[in-house]
Amino acid sequence: MNTAEHDFAESLLHIFDNVLITEEKALSKGYFADLSIAELHTLDAIGPYEARAMSETAIRLGITTGTLTVAVDRLVRKGYVERNRDTKDRRVVRIHLTRRGKLAFRMHGKFHTLLVRRIMEPLDAERQEILAEMIRNVDQFVSEQYRKYSDEDIKNTAMDDSRRSLEDV
Amino acid sequence: MSEQVPETQQGESDKQGEPRERSADEHPDVKKKDRIYDDLITMVSKLITLSPTDITPESDIIFDLGLDSLQLYELVIDLEDGYDIRLPDEDLEKIHTVQDIADLVFALAR
Repeated sequence: MNTAEHDFAESLLHIFDNVLITEEKALSKGYFADLSIAELHTLDAIGPYEARAMSETAIRLGITTGTLTVAVDRLVRKGYVERNRDTKDRRVVRIHLTRRGKLAFRMHGKFHTLLVRRIMEPLDAERQEILAEMIRNVDQFVSEQYRKYSDEDIKNTAMDDSRRSLEDV
Repeated sequence: MSEQVPETQQGESDKQGEPRERSADEHPDVKKKDRIYDDLITMVSKLITLSPTDITPESDIIFDLGLDSLQLYELVIDLEDGYDIRLPDEDLEKIHTVQDIADLVFALAR
């Protein structure tokens, strides 16, 4: 890795860490001090409008339904989420944000908007487009890597399951 | 003898400060606009504990009424739920006065 690449990697990691830390600090000092950043991202995945199925939300977050159930339990207790059975299909559990949940969602969105504006405002339209294109490329690459590892996890889980089945025979 | 107040075509009172009278055959859009405005005033006055009479259509929601971003979003969520509409941040950036909000809700709730 040459110096430029090293600097770029450092900056990228700093941005990632600092955004998370800043979000967490802003949360802890504000009206939603009882929310962790992970919980806030769960609210983001649920969204402010339609009620969502648990399974659909788990996929959006890249976690298992079991993990989401634990997170949602906590958010229900804190008054940010409500859980109901689907009126048409009683097997399906749907979750939606309460008024407080919607407020947290909107305030979190505002933080992201301010962040993006601060980065984009000093640039002219052409540079903004170049930066957006570069960010899209990084996002695409990281998403591909994530999918690759996720697929490997699913394969390993399936292999473990079949090995256990054979041992049981 | 009481003072005669001139009326407009819709039967509205032209006298300053008098409540606006609504005729039975008033256009549905006008009624709806009035209802939205009245709802909005009630919501804002509850939110910032201010008398509805102190709020005018021209009141600037930030500079005159002093709503902070949290209160503005509380109002937005109540309007979204009340009128089954969506008020994205991009639209909120264009509004300044109470009348702006009423007009936006009216346009979205059609």
